[in-house]
Amino acid sequence: MELLRSLAARIGVAVFVTLLFVLAVGLPANVQAGPPQLEEPKGGGECIRPEGWMRRNHMDFLKHQRGLTVREGIRVRSESLAKCAECHTSHTRFCDRCHNYVGVAPDCFECHLFPE
Amino acid sequence: MTMDRRSVLGLGGVLAAGLVLAPGMRLVAAPENVTEASDKRRWGMLIDTTHCDAACTACTQACRTENNVSIVGDPQRDIHWIRKVDLHDKDGRKPDRSLPVLCNHCEHPPCVHVCPTEASFIRKDGIVLVDMHRCIGCRYCMIACPYKARSLVYSKPKVPPDANTRVPIRAKGVVEKCTFCVHRIDDGGEPACVEACRKDGGGSMLFGDINDPNSEISKRIREVSTTTIRADLGLKPRVHYQGI
Repeated sequence: MELLRSLAARIGVAVFVTLLFVLAVGLPANVQAGPPQLEEPKGGGECIRPEGWMRRNHMDFLKHQRGLTVREGIRVRSESLAKCAECHTSHTRFCDRCHNYVGVAPDCFECHLFPE
Repeated sequence: MTMDRRSVLGLGGVLAAGLVLAPGMRLVAAPENVTEASDKRRWGMLIDTTHCDAACTACTQACRTENNVSIVGDPQRDIHWIRKVDLHDKDGRKPDRSLPVLCNHCEHPPCVHVCPTEASFIRKDGIVLVDMHRCIGCRYCMIACPYKARSLVYSKPKVPPDANTRVPIRAKGVVEKCTFCVHRIDDGGEPACVEACRKDGGGSMLFGDINDPNSEISKRIREVSTTTIRADLGLKPRVHYQGI
């Protein structure tokens, strides 16, 4: 009986240690703890709006510009989607990383030819 | 304090002017990189069929390259923004003609009237467009259009390797048509078909502002005998034909 109890305790400790190890080694590699660390776009100067504002509002901003451009024919060339691509040279690196993290799937790039 | 009639009216006028001007940030000189479609303009086209060769496909080819219109391969589902039509008079009194047919950008477009989502609309300068962000692909407009100018995107479009990045491709399930190369017009250019016709074709296409009496197209329409296709429908198309 004593032997059985100590055996069970040892197995329990072994399982616990294994779990700790898996958590310590395995998790950071697969699951990210915080929001994705984004790289700065190279080559470009300042964004057309402050960075924080853009992070929160770019979706409404793009939608607003879209409505103006398509329906009213107002083209603001310095603020077009094509202009974004001059600094943000890839939608997989600059757009999709956050979109995947927050779980949104805008379908802009099904039609708009943005660099991969 | 009492005010006479004149000063009350004057004050009202000043207030009204203030109300009009206050939201009117556009009164400030616009930056050079901003352009807007003008409601003073009406874009139109004149096609001289006497100079259009039946074997020439310069305009249709240029349109496909410019607007990323790929060939599907199934004749029933192929997408045409502009296509060549051959005319043959059964009585033989009129010579055979070949002419390009594209969206006529009607003044009273039936496609716009039937659109349930207001995806089809008339831009201020008279160009009839489809807002792909709103189109649900119901195809009412395709049935309404007497010119067969519209096509549904039945399958995921192929993106050509040398695609023109200025023109977005259209996703599966929307209806697309000629835009008069609206992106070129807004940059002060002319449609790709007109340019190609002048370079590689018979130079039979003329594009311009038919609201401006001094434009070349207005002068030509005044001088020569022109007609529109299915003028009897009263849609007032803006693609005029000469010689049919």
